[in-house]
Amino acid sequence: MYSSAVIWVKGGAPYLLLQHQQKQLFSTLSRKKTPLWFSPPSTTPRNFSARSSLQPLDVSRLAETARISLTPTEVEEFAPKIRQVIDWFGQLQAVDLQSIEPALRADTEGDNLRHDLPETFENREAMLAAVPSYEEPYIKVPKVLNKD
Amino acid sequence: MVVAGGGGGGGDGPDGGRGAVLSEHQTLSSTSPPSSEILTIRKSLLSRERKAVEIAEEYLNRLRQTEPQIKSFLHVSENVMKEAKEIDGKIERNEELRPLAGVLIGVKDNICTADMPSTGGSRILQDYRPAFDATAVQKLRESGAVLVGKTNLDEFGMGSTTEGSGFQVTANPWDVTRVPGGSSGGSAAAVSARQCVVALGSDTGGSVRQPASFCGVVGMKPTYGRVSRFGLMAYASSLDVIGCFGSSVADTAILLEAIAGHDIFDATSSKHEVPNFASQFISTEFSESKPLKGLRVGIISETLGDGVDVPVASTIKAAASHLEELGCAVTEVSLPSFSLGLPAYYILASSESSSNLSRYDGVRYGNQVAAEELNSLYGDSRANGFGPEVKMRILMGTYALSAGYYDAYYKRAQQVRTLVQKSFKAALSENDILISPAAPSAAYKIGEKKNDPLAMYAGDIMTVNVNLAGLPALVLPCGFVEGGPAGLPIGLQMIGAQFDEGKLLRVGHIFEQTLQGCRFIPPLVAESVAS
Repeated sequence: MYSSAVIWVKGGAPYLLLQHQQKQLFSTLSRKKTPLWFSPPSTTPRNFSARSSLQPLDVSRLAETARISLTPTEVEEFAPKIRQVIDWFGQLQAVDLQSIEPALRADTEGDNLRHDLPETFENREAMLAAVPSYEEPYIKVPKVLNKD
Repeated sequence: MVVAGGGGGGGDGPDGGRGAVLSEHQTLSSTSPPSSEILTIRKSLLSRERKAVEIAEEYLNRLRQTEPQIKSFLHVSENVMKEAKEIDGKIERNEELRPLAGVLIGVKDNICTADMPSTGGSRILQDYRPAFDATAVQKLRESGAVLVGKTNLDEFGMGSTTEGSGFQVTANPWDVTRVPGGSSGGSAAAVSARQCVVALGSDTGGSVRQPASFCGVVGMKPTYGRVSRFGLMAYASSLDVIGCFGSSVADTAILLEAIAGHDIFDATSSKHEVPNFASQFISTEFSESKPLKGLRVGIISETLGDGVDVPVASTIKAAASHLEELGCAVTEVSLPSFSLGLPAYYILASSESSSNLSRYDGVRYGNQVAAEELNSLYGDSRANGFGPEVKMRILMGTYALSAGYYDAYYKRAQQVRTLVQKSFKAALSENDILISPAAPSAAYKIGEKKNDPLAMYAGDIMTVNVNLAGLPALVLPCGFVEGGPAGLPIGLQMIGAQFDEGKLLRVGHIFEQTLQGCRFIPPLVAESVAS
C-alpha cells in the first residue's frame, strides 16, 4: 500500500499536497509522528470534518490505486457515499487511545505454524483449467509495459 | 413458564406475559420444542424406518417447491440422490453409519467445493470451480453428509441483506417481501424453509447471527480459530470465521463438532480440544425446575437503549426473564467501548478486504475482460466483476490504508479492538455469558436500506464487537414481533468466553427446550414439515 501511495503523490493528484503535508506524509512512513491533520487526539468530530476538507477524497485516484476501472457515473455515485463513511470513520479521532496497544486480531492463540516444507498439490489440472488464458506452459496476459 | 420434563408433551399455550406476538397458525398443539433433525434422521436410518433416499427426496421436493419464492440457492447439487443411495447401500451392507450420514447440508457459496461452482456471490467468479474442498467441507464429506448445494450471499460476505449478491435476491421465508439478513442469508433462509437440515455460513461481523435472527433459526459463530478458514474466500482475515445454522441448538452443536479443529492449512486455527458438545447437554426430561441455577448472565445495557426497536428490546427482556426463571442471575453490564466497535470494525474489514480482494484480477481464475495491456485487464476485469458495495469497500479500505492515513484509521481501529477485547474480558470475568439482541430490528423490507450504506452498517452494531474480540456467540430464536403474515422472529444473542461454545450451546439448549408458545417454522412450509 505504501508504494502505491507514493506513486499517488508523485503522479500528482488534482489537489496538491502542501509542502508540510508531504513532509508529514513521509514522516508517517517511519511511523514516528501522527499527521498534523489528525492530531491532537482531543479533536472533536466537528473539527475533524472541517479538517477532512484538507484532504479531499479523490475517488478516481483511489480507483486507479485499487485497479478498478470506474465509469464517470460510478465515480459520481460512489463519491458522496464513500465520503459519508470516511467522515463517519473519523469519529475515532476523538477517542483518547494514546496508551493503548493495537491488536492485530483476537488474542485467541499463538500461531500454529507448520513446517516450511514444500508439498505437491495433486489436483494441478483443475487449477490450470480455471486459468482464463492459458498456453502451455504459460499463463497468458497482454503486454505489461505501458506506452508512457 | 419453565416446564420440567417438557421434552415431548407440547406447550401449555402462549405465554401472555412475553410481550411477543403469536401467529394464528401457532396453535396450542404446534408449540412443542424443536428436536434434533440430525438425530431423528440417524435414528430412522439405523432402525431402517426410512431410507436416505426418502429423506433426501422430502427435502429436495420442498426445495423445488419453495425455491422459486425464496431463491436461497445459487447451485443445487446433481449428486444428492446418488449420494443418498450410496448411504442406503452402506446401511444394507451393515457398514458403520457416520455421524452426518444422510444429512442434507447447504454450504454458503464463499466456501470452496471441488464438485460445485463456488462464486462467493460475485460475477467475477461466475462458473468458477475450485480445485479443492475447504477443510470444513472436507470434514463434512468425511462425516457422511450430503451436500445439497451452494447458498446465496452478499458478494464476498459484504452486506447484511443478501441483496448484494451478484446473482439474485433471497427472500425471507417468514415474509417474502423482506430480506433474510446477510451476508449468509441464503443459508439462513434455506434452513428456515427446511430446504436442508443444517447449513454452513461465515461470520465476519455478524453474517451468521443476524440472518439467523431474521429467519428464526439457530446460528453459531464459533471462537476465532475454532474452525479452519482454509477454503473460505477471505474477506477480513482477522475476523472471518465459518459458522453453523440449524433448526435446533442440538443440530447446530453436532454440525460445529463435525467441522471444528486444528488444520495445518490454517495457521490461525486452534489446537484447542473439540468437545462432544451435544453430550454435555442437560437432559430436559429429568431437569429440575432451576436447571441453570447459579449461572451469571450479563445483559449488555448498551444494546437495549436508543436505536433498538422497542418490541425487539422487550422480547429480549422477556428472554432474560425466562433465563431468570431457569435459575440464572441476570444483571446489567456495561461495555463502554461498545459504540466504537462499529466504525473500528468497518475500518478493519474494508482495509483487509482491499488487500484480500486484490487476488481477483482476472489472470489466474475468474472472469477476464480482454484488454490491450495488463493494467486495463486488471481494472476492467475487476470493474466488470465486482458489484457496487464491494467496489466501495475496496475503495474505502484503499483510502484507510494509504500512506499517511494508516495511523489515523487502521492503527486506531486496532487500538479500539484492544479496548473492546478488554471490556469483554472484564464483563466475562463477572458473568458466565452475556446476552443482547442479535440485531436492532426484525427483518426489514427488501430495498429498504439498499441505498444508504450507513443505515445498513448501523444494523451490525449488535454483532461486530464479538468479532473484534474473537469470541463465540450463539443466536437462537426467542420470540416474535408484529410484521408479515405470521409475525417476525427475533433472535437472542448469547456471548461466551473464548472456546466456551459448550456453555453457550448447553444454555441455549435448555432455553430452547423450555421456551413455551413459540414455534419457529414459517407458515410457507409448516404444512409439509412433520411435527
